Amino acid sequence: MHDWVQIVRERLVNLALDDDNAAQVCEELASHLEEAYQSLRNEGLSEQFAITRVLASVGDWRVLQRKIESSRKKELSMPDRVTQFWIPAFVTLSLSMVCLALIQIFGPHPWVANATPRGWRFVAPALLVYIPWLFTLPFIGALGAYISNRAGGRARAIFSATIFPILPYMVFFIIGLPIAIILDDHIAHNIMIPAFFVGLCAWVIFPGVALLAGGWPVQHFSSRLTTRRISNG
Amino acid sequence: MIGTGVKRGTAELAILSVLEDGPLHGYELARRIERQTKGALSFSLAALYPMLYRMEQRRWIRGTWEASASGRRRRCYRLTPQGKKKLQPLRAEWSELFQALRRLTKASHA
Repeated sequence: MHDWVQIVRERLVNLALDDDNAAQVCEELASHLEEAYQSLRNEGLSEQFAITRVLASVGDWRVLQRKIESSRKKELSMPDRVTQFWIPAFVTLSLSMVCLALIQIFGPHPWVANATPRGWRFVAPALLVYIPWLFTLPFIGALGAYISNRAGGRARAIFSATIFPILPYMVFFIIGLPIAIILDDHIAHNIMIPAFFVGLCAWVIFPGVALLAGGWPVQHFSSRLTTRRISNG
Repeated sequence: MIGTGVKRGTAELAILSVLEDGPLHGYELARRIERQTKGALSFSLAALYPMLYRMEQRRWIRGTWEASASGRRRRCYRLTPQGKKKLQPLRAEWSELFQALRRLTKASHA
């Protein structure tokens, strides 16, 4: 006696549907395959040949999986988009801003003694605020990823919600940097292109890495847990 | 005017027409279509179930779990009132396509 449900589950292990939905699909497909198998056996085919023919009739399981996912999932409705993306995105954005403000208000207030500080002394006051803020970002990213994942968000929604606080800055640097390069010689402020790269690192790349350092493990382990739940039934 | 979704519509028409006679589970539905069309139309598992799920999302059909005589659980699909309503324009579209093709073949043979 073959466990057709198990056979289907093994082949659709990454089916991106909720547990109940995935279990129902596996059971239904298994029932279909079992009947096809029985029919072939009644025609006098050997057990092994019948199994091979039934499984071959499915074709590419990855194609089947994609088709089922797209047909089974409802269009992302407005409330889903709100709970899976906008709410976690605004949580990460507002928390990151609140943390930065709190560190500035309650954190260290360095005195700049030297009138013309150079080197480390020049950047140290900013770093005293910036570095503690960077350390808060993994927790904020993890929280955003958790909220999105819990609402049933897929990888793209979780990722976007996690890195949402850096998106406004990224847009600014993507637009600002080319404009600065074009206009540098024509405006009086003498914009320094290296300053844009420093800004890009400070406001986009480093915070992005910090947010993902918290958000990615949450996303990764949540999807692994879901996969394990599906395979265990 | 024949719509662009005729090809897909024919598969939907086949499913809705067969379900008009009574509820069926997926495997029996595929067999029935194959038998009634003498093998001209056949559904693979990969084509049938995504189509059934899509039609269920549109509320043309409804699937419910039922236990067979052997105790095995199977999902039976039945036509909904919305599905019955959809069947009429699909039939008209299909009939129009046939008539158009017939006219075309007659013209080319004349």
